[in-house]
Amino acid sequence: MLTPIEKILFILLALVSAGFTFHGFKTIIDTVRKGRPAPELKNIPASLLKAGVTVLFQRTIFKARKALSAVHLGLFFGLITYAFVNLFDVLEGLIPNFDLTYSGKHLAPPAWTIPLINIYSLVSDVMSMFLLIAITIFLVRRFIVKDKALTYRENVLLNPKVKAGGQAKDSLIVGVFVIMHVTAHVLSQAYRLTEGADPFMPFASFLNSIFGASETGMHVAWWVSIGWVMFIIPYLSRSKHTHFFMAPINLGLAKQNPRGQLDPAIPLKVIDGRKYDPGAKVITDLAWKRILDAYACVQCNRCQDVCPANFYQRPLSPSALEVNKRYLLKEATFGSHPDLLLAPLTETVISPEAVWSCTTCYACVRVCPVGNEPMADIVDIRRRMLIDGFEIDSGVQTALQSLATNGNWMGKGKRLRGRWAKELEFPVKNATEEPVEVLWFVGDTASFDERVIPNTKMVARIFHQAGLDFGILYQNESNAGNDVRRVGEEGLFEQLVEQNMAAFGKAQFQRIVTTDPHSFNTLKNEYPQFGGKFEVKHYTVTLLKLFEEGKLTVKNKLSHYKVTFHDPCYLGRYNGGFTAPRKLLELLGVEFHEMPRNCENSFCCGAGGGQIWMGKVAPGERPAENRIKEALSTFEKHPSDKKQLFIVTCPKDMVMYSDAVKTTGNEGKIEVRDIIQLVAEAVGVEEVSPIVG
Amino acid sequence: MNIVVAIKHIPSIADDVPVKGNNVDFDSVDFVLNEWDEHSIEQAVLIKEAVGGTVTVIGVDLIGELDNALHLALAKGADKVVKITADDPAADSHMQAKWLSEAIKGMGANMVFAGVQASNDLDGQIGPMIAAYLDMPYIGGVSSVEANSDSATVNKEFAGGAGAKYSVSMPFVAGVQAAPKPPRYAPVSKVRQMAQSATVEKVAPSGDASSGLTFKKMAPPVVTGHAEMIEGSSKEVAAKIVELLKSKGLA
Amino acid sequence: MSNDILVITEHMDGKFSDVSFELVGKAKELAKALGGQAAAVVVGGGVDANVFASDSTIQVDDAALSQFNPEAYAKVVEALVKEKSPKVVMFGWTVTGMDIAAWLSARLGVPCAAYAKDVRVEGGGIVVSCQAYGGKLTAEVAPEGETAIVACLAGSFPAEAGQGATAAEKIASPVDLSGLKMKFIEMVKPAGGDVDITAQTKLVSVGRGIGGKENIELAEELAAKLGAVVSASRPVVDAGWLPRTRQVGKSGLKVKPKLYLMLGISGAPEHLEGMKGAELIIAINTDKKAPIFNVAHYGATADLFEVAEAMLELL
Repeated sequence: MLTPIEKILFILLALVSAGFTFHGFKTIIDTVRKGRPAPELKNIPASLLKAGVTVLFQRTIFKARKALSAVHLGLFFGLITYAFVNLFDVLEGLIPNFDLTYSGKHLAPPAWTIPLINIYSLVSDVMSMFLLIAITIFLVRRFIVKDKALTYRENVLLNPKVKAGGQAKDSLIVGVFVIMHVTAHVLSQAYRLTEGADPFMPFASFLNSIFGASETGMHVAWWVSIGWVMFIIPYLSRSKHTHFFMAPINLGLAKQNPRGQLDPAIPLKVIDGRKYDPGAKVITDLAWKRILDAYACVQCNRCQDVCPANFYQRPLSPSALEVNKRYLLKEATFGSHPDLLLAPLTETVISPEAVWSCTTCYACVRVCPVGNEPMADIVDIRRRMLIDGFEIDSGVQTALQSLATNGNWMGKGKRLRGRWAKELEFPVKNATEEPVEVLWFVGDTASFDERVIPNTKMVARIFHQAGLDFGILYQNESNAGNDVRRVGEEGLFEQLVEQNMAAFGKAQFQRIVTTDPHSFNTLKNEYPQFGGKFEVKHYTVTLLKLFEEGKLTVKNKLSHYKVTFHDPCYLGRYNGGFTAPRKLLELLGVEFHEMPRNCENSFCCGAGGGQIWMGKVAPGERPAENRIKEALSTFEKHPSDKKQLFIVTCPKDMVMYSDAVKTTGNEGKIEVRDIIQLVAEAVGVEEVSPIVG
Repeated sequence: MNIVVAIKHIPSIADDVPVKGNNVDFDSVDFVLNEWDEHSIEQAVLIKEAVGGTVTVIGVDLIGELDNALHLALAKGADKVVKITADDPAADSHMQAKWLSEAIKGMGANMVFAGVQASNDLDGQIGPMIAAYLDMPYIGGVSSVEANSDSATVNKEFAGGAGAKYSVSMPFVAGVQAAPKPPRYAPVSKVRQMAQSATVEKVAPSGDASSGLTFKKMAPPVVTGHAEMIEGSSKEVAAKIVELLKSKGLA
Repeated sequence: MSNDILVITEHMDGKFSDVSFELVGKAKELAKALGGQAAAVVVGGGVDANVFASDSTIQVDDAALSQFNPEAYAKVVEALVKEKSPKVVMFGWTVTGMDIAAWLSARLGVPCAAYAKDVRVEGGGIVVSCQAYGGKLTAEVAPEGETAIVACLAGSFPAEAGQGATAAEKIASPVDLSGLKMKFIEMVKPAGGDVDITAQTKLVSVGRGIGGKENIELAEELAAKLGAVVSASRPVVDAGWLPRTRQVGKSGLKVKPKLYLMLGISGAPEHLEGMKGAELIIAINTDKKAPIFNVAHYGATADLFEVAEAMLELL
């Protein structure tokens, strides 16, 4: 189709485009390689293949925003189709008579290819329409409806270029590209239809009926269509739409270790004998995988939607972190500011206040369709801030100091840890002195907080009644360190692990049971890194088993309660412990209603990652308060006179939600209870007034 | 600037302090760093950061567990740490001050800091005693020290933010009430690094002194009165307090 | 040697502090039991010293003593003690007395009993009751030797017993005060602009239990509702969560409000010194064994945040 001069021009332009594209992606790859070693990935081809399938079915985006995800699906398939369309367009241009209109009759193809050509014509024609519709929806959403979900809070640190609308510019360019490119392609086909309508090209035929056929039109339209492609492909490597290429790759290289296992503060693998300081100060202190994250992110802001800190009006947006990273990298590698690679992250990509707002609930990582882990960046930044002597929140400092000296964050003496057990009406074994079947790891809040101790005692009574052979570590137990590690105090975490490992070493037991999901997480997922390979169970699992074995029986069905259940982050989202608590509630005979945000999508109470040490820090509704309202509106859909209970299985939740019920003025309407209180009522174990002494 | 910080390892008062005979039952109590010592270490490090110099932290090792406090001091910026190996948990302030003075004597200190007090200073604080033994002037209740070349400007607190500025020629001893900034946090990894790499200089106790006090009795205080306790949930407590305040015309 | 008691009084801005009168009163009682005399020592000339009920009062007048100077005061006291060789030298365990008592003890090689709450005569000698370990224990100690230093906590004895009109004998400094290494430069007034907590009728006082700087706001809210002002214990101020002008206690201010509502203060002796004169003391603390409950009129073992927030709703 093309004239010789046009062919030469095309080949030259294609070479230039390819050159820029190569430079773009090479720059990205070189930049990613500047990152630190990430934990070794196993069987990468298989992971990539799996990611490919996931991407093909767009599985990960449907975790949230179902309707928009469907539009994305249309866009995705449209663009995939267009990869072929562009190929054939080029062939049309370069090879005389390569023309697929009218079932390719100008090409005189072998008979068996005709159905394929027809399918191609139909699919590409229909997809063109879908693409135009999908891109229009997205453009309308961004530029006319101005969907709030695509914006950031005022207080979130943003790269100046992002603030000036850099992302919108990218969107506009890509939007205009898609519209012009697709329209031009369809027009180029329409102009070819010298013999009237092609039944396999309804859209092009329709345009043909308006514009007719035209040789010149065909050339112009072809150039517009292909010209755009030659421009856009190198451009993509320099824009947020690197996403098209990096998202599937990133997904294929996503975290393989358990969710509950943080990467070490210093990489285990060393490249070229490099010395690493713990954590991250500048962008190249991040693992290469974290750098890749920035290129995969297209700022859909699904992470921001589920972020409890963002909800609490704190200046944290995981997505802003990623876009800031990408802009920094872009200015450092494509632009003229290589020094930015040495700029502190806390000045360029995330504010210190945002760093300390994260609850490490994992919701952002879980929801991210492209396998990003912004939370991992935050923990690494915290790690370095601590080492560099950044003035940390006074509450956190007090807690850490107490943890370092007393092994608990509450400023209590070690010897007081088992005091609650001495107040029981039966002795609780000291697992460091006599063998037990179950070693109960109690945790700080359950051991020391007067508000939670009655529940702790109740667990002991139930275990005792069921004849469970259990013991505790008394003063030998230290905080398990889950939140210490997430605050970034890796050294203190290691110290606590060593103390607990020494205590475990003194004890004889078959498995560990814990009432605290945070302890559960680190004992299960992180202690193995330190040689602590134990069977670790959450108490809900143990309780369920005791019922199943007939060691506990429900004497009183609790049908007078209407309950909902809050999945603690570190039991649910991190470790998939969704079924045991729900089965227990079913056994107990309560009327159960699920909140809209449940299981994987549970909403954090706001206490994790050290937030519980910081106290009230921001105005506005707290995550826990929002959650109580969610529970109440769930109950409203099932009106009855039954007592309404908010069931928790985490001592921190007990504290956070009891508080939230009060601060939202909902006392009397809803009551927070630990599941153990329901179990006690059902099996008929009474609260015994403490022995005063 | 050569600053020596004398610290005190003392029984923890986080829990009840157990008694055996006429003294504390030192075997069943945890020893911790005197909290005012954290401020004197901070003050010393702040001066070092401002004008340079070295900070030496020295303490009497009463039960063989002082190392952690010394490693912590190193992690916070001390340059050298010394322990006097006494192994006598009952050593009083006079005894400790004497041993410390003998050890500090040869260090050429421009300034010696100590915590303004400690909860076990039954026979007085080590700071003024070190000053007496070393024949240096002593100033306590100190809330800031600015070092000049051979003197320092010292702020002493009286009450409620009032205080006085003194110019003190070196060498002198200061009892630190509070550093100008809250004591910094030392990440445990740094403390552990110090534990592995740093050397704690050991000095045998030298000299003798005594408080001259005979302990006749040690016991929890006889409680003469007790608050009327308001029972119930936090909400009930709040309601009763508000009611009480209203009845007295205070709310 | 003698059976006399020497009381080292303290004054500022031309006024003696209460503890001086308390000590003189106690000294008279002890001197009587020991068969000696109670002498008050006033270091510095800028104060009317004819105010004590002591058997005698000595006022040391020297330009170098016009302002409190720990070095000069210590030297003067040392010389007087050497000269008089009293049985007991009494100091207040205060921000000034603490600078001298232990120094003198080491200097002269005589015993020192600090944190004294009571002194009694027993078998010709004295026995001192001391507060130890942050008030967790009380120790009874007997000083050996012919002279003993006793440094008493403020508020341990009634002040009235020490008030009188004994004419002071003015003397020149018994030691040469030239060549001091310590020079007074100037007084530092509290940072301006802040409220005077001693002038308040209601105080909401926060301690370590408040947890962090961020939580001060809650106390401020509660105080605002009550028409009170927020004060604090020393750790809160040392941590920089509140200015020093808000500190109640030995190294802070002494307050006597109508209401002293304590949130998360366990009640270290130093703090009690500053507030035990309050008319109504209500203490909220999570530790049921906190010593404050022995001093407060009303107490509750509860979470201060919950109580404060609940009170905010009710007020």
